[in-house]
Amino acid sequence: MSQTVTLRIYRRDPDLDAAPKYQNYQIELTPGLTVLMALYHVLENVDKTLAFRASCRSAVCGSCGMHINGKNMLACETQLAPLGNEVLIEPLPHLPVLKDLAVDMTRFWDKYEKVRPYLIALKAPPPSGKERLQSVEDRKKIDEFIDCILCACCHTSCSTAWWDKEYLGPAALAKMYRFVADSRDEGGAERLQIAAREDGVFRCHTIFNCTEECPKKIPITFGIQEIKKRVLWGKLAGRM
Amino acid sequence: MPLTKHTVYPGRGLGMWAFWLHRLTGLAIAVYLLMHILVISTVVGGAGNFNEAMKFLKAPIFILLEMGLLAIILIHGFNGARIVLFDLGYGVKKQKPIFIALMALAIIPFVIAFAVALPHIFV
Repeated sequence: MSQTVTLRIYRRDPDLDAAPKYQNYQIELTPGLTVLMALYHVLENVDKTLAFRASCRSAVCGSCGMHINGKNMLACETQLAPLGNEVLIEPLPHLPVLKDLAVDMTRFWDKYEKVRPYLIALKAPPPSGKERLQSVEDRKKIDEFIDCILCACCHTSCSTAWWDKEYLGPAALAKMYRFVADSRDEGGAERLQIAAREDGVFRCHTIFNCTEECPKKIPITFGIQEIKKRVLWGKLAGRM
Repeated sequence: MPLTKHTVYPGRGLGMWAFWLHRLTGLAIAVYLLMHILVISTVVGGAGNFNEAMKFLKAPIFILLEMGLLAIILIHGFNGARIVLFDLGYGVKKQKPIFIALMALAIIPFVIAFAVALPHIFV
């Protein structure tokens, strides 16, 4: 016997709708059906006006971050069956809604840019002309943090990022830690100066929502606190 | 462009509960401080006035309320220690067991104080 699931989807076109509405779609549950596959089913067979972002379907691109049953997650890697008979699908919270499930990520990218999310290398490249090498131990230090796919699930679950529009937020700071902890990076001092600003690491209240919601299980709060520690001891020792 | 309806993220992790607990107990302590200042200010009306107020506050209901205050202060204090620990960069990856352990630890002084206060509550 086939089982049906009701998708309760947030719908809003800011140009037309003064308030959002929730539209229900019945969908037949098939083995292995993910939330994203269900959304594609609705788009292709039921309602061509539904807007959402998605690309790789394998939790790598970070496009399909959504607020599903009250939790930020990736639609592509989330199985529909365990979510119950009625599944509430909303856009990532606290980012401006472009249409339906697609949000405006401008603010997110602006903050990302502020932490200079690339390797800062002052020394000349090795004479071999090949890559800059690093030991296995040093590589391990950034193991978790290089997994970030920039889906904004952490950023949009951070209470401080909601209340303080200037706060760099967990995604940008996790990226900063990825380079601060990287033995090849030489921009450490400059990065810590950015982190020490009023809108930097000290706005983190260790609520751990970012760590809880990260689909890649990155210990983001740990990274932020590590930067905080470096800034704190740097200031106390007069290095900053 | 509009935002979604949420006013606060509906986080259900332990850290979010700890955060709310810390804010609410902090507010309660601030409210208590105001009441405390009000009570202490009765001394302005002379010693008799102040003694009268102290006598009034010895009633079992106030002792019971003080137990509530103690619980609030213990939660806020012990959780505060946890936050300081994290801000210094220690134990961040073990936040959940640390929170549970500290809250369990906070029960000890509460039980002792409650045992001492018990005869004053049920007089």
